[in-house]
Amino acid sequence: MIWVTWRQHRPQALTALAAFAFVAVYALVLGLWMRSTFDADAIGTCLARSGGAGCGGTISSFMHAVQGGAAVPLNLVLLVVPGVLGATVGAPLLGQELERGTWQLAWTQTVPRTRWLVAKLGLVIAALAVFGVALTAVVAWSWSPLDQVSIRTQPPQFVVEGLALTCSLLCAFGLALLAGLLLRNTIGAMVAGYFAWELCLGITLLLTGPLQVFSATKTVPCAGAACAAASTNSVPPVTGNLGDLVNSVSKVGDHLVVSYVPASAFWPLQFVVGGIFLGVGLAAAGAAVWLLNRRTS
Amino acid sequence: MTHDVGRVPALRADRLGKRYGHAWGLRDCTFEVPPGSIVGLVGPNGAGKTTLLALTVGLLAPTEGQVALFGEPSRAQDAATLARVSYLAQDHPLYRGFTVADMFRFGRSLNPSWDAGLAAARMGALDIPLRRKVKSLSGGQQAQVALTMALAKRAPLLLLDEPVASLDPLARLDFMRDVVAASAESGLTVLVASHVIAELERLCDWLLVLNRGRLQLAGAVDDLVAGHAVLTVPRDATNGSLPGRVIERTDSDRHSTVLVSAPPGAVAAAIAAPPPGWAAEPAGFEQVVLAYLRRPQVATTTPAGAKGTAVA
Repeated sequence: MIWVTWRQHRPQALTALAAFAFVAVYALVLGLWMRSTFDADAIGTCLARSGGAGCGGTISSFMHAVQGGAAVPLNLVLLVVPGVLGATVGAPLLGQELERGTWQLAWTQTVPRTRWLVAKLGLVIAALAVFGVALTAVVAWSWSPLDQVSIRTQPPQFVVEGLALTCSLLCAFGLALLAGLLLRNTIGAMVAGYFAWELCLGITLLLTGPLQVFSATKTVPCAGAACAAASTNSVPPVTGNLGDLVNSVSKVGDHLVVSYVPASAFWPLQFVVGGIFLGVGLAAAGAAVWLLNRRTS
Repeated sequence: MTHDVGRVPALRADRLGKRYGHAWGLRDCTFEVPPGSIVGLVGPNGAGKTTLLALTVGLLAPTEGQVALFGEPSRAQDAATLARVSYLAQDHPLYRGFTVADMFRFGRSLNPSWDAGLAAARMGALDIPLRRKVKSLSGGQQAQVALTMALAKRAPLLLLDEPVASLDPLARLDFMRDVVAASAESGLTVLVASHVIAELERLCDWLLVLNRGRLQLAGAVDDLVAGHAVLTVPRDATNGSLPGRVIERTDSDRHSTVLVSAPPGAVAAAIAAPPPGWAAEPAGFEQVVLAYLRRPQVATTTPAGAKGTAVA
């Protein structure tokens, strides 16, 4: 089964490797450039000295340079990679067999079809997981200067770092796999899988945007001009921690009441979002196995 | 069964039925096929031929009844069942992007009893290079690769669904000759679903006729032919006065031509000494099959050849 799975997915595997190489080179160059800019701006020394206070100007100009320019194409690519790759690999696994009639060949060898599918799924899911983890690692390295001074609980970082990219890839794969079984058509299954994945991505963006399940409130003392100038856009944020996402600031006497998502919410939020992606993906793949197993016509 | 004592039937269906929604694709199908025979499976489109094959190989599960292969019940999703039967589907599906060598490696990976020597030898004999991609082969060559896949699986029962439908006449002959040779060589039982009745006559020693999901005829080809006669009788002769059961009757001005089914002894007697004013001659294979196909309402509950086989 290992060879069969490899041979049938070889074109996809090679394409994925090429895409990985392309993204990795881009991320490497970007990472090196970010590091040199980071050092040239002396952001590191400023952070070490003050923990962020007084570094606002340099950080803003660094962020502007990074997010306004060189990083944008990579962000866009990374945003669609899980959906496109997952759908491309998942759709033909059953869809093409059914479309071209080769299921009659595949399922009449000596390996029963459920075992055939489970073996294939195990191998393909493992390969996709390795791809996702490797891509996450490369991007995390590339973005580490950015991560030190920006908010990771929001896209683009949130949907690429941590568990999100890998789980999202598996989600798109499972959805496209199931779509292939139901539609018996590769292209249709790719499109259906991709848009179903977009729905899951939409839920994620809701969780990191308007819903903000891990939102907290904090009261910060302030005085005079600092109080008057405090806003949601202050750099560093009024909570004093660079990674915090400040949603609202209201003045109560000589205090600020701040509603924010702490930087420490990154991992809990990753588990929630990754869990949703993985849950949807595995449920879809499980449904495909179940349907194929009981299929009698 | 009393005939062929000690020989377990290669294929045995027992009140086999498959329902699709409200419609029965196959119903109440009971027959046996002796090992080593080449069986023709005939019927119009939608008669249930592919359903019967899919039930046999376990791609479908029966709604009622069961199929047994060499005495063991056929089950869907069962490696032991799959090991007993090779299936060559209509249009001989193969992975178009694979080379021939890839196809064989696929076969080897999925079949413990894979015969790599047989596969390579057949490709050598047919002059099909192993490095060629499937999609670059001609239709006849693709059919041969698919047949080789089925043979190299080394299952004792081979199911062929319209194997030559897309082939030119020469490729058809080559293909069928290879099937017969493989059967003779290794005692393979072959079940061929086909529309080409003349081809089956040359090829088969056993016949199954399906019509509208029902089994019309089942038995040895020789018994079947010996059990039918074509009578030319005066037009006023009633069906009741004829020896045997009337399958098909064509009336002309003064005479009627009637195909009757009767025990082989009665058929032989009628041919040897027809009543005055009558003529009787043996029925042809194709004539018998076509007569049944034209009359789906004629159902034989007892397989026509069964008695003859028991006698022989």
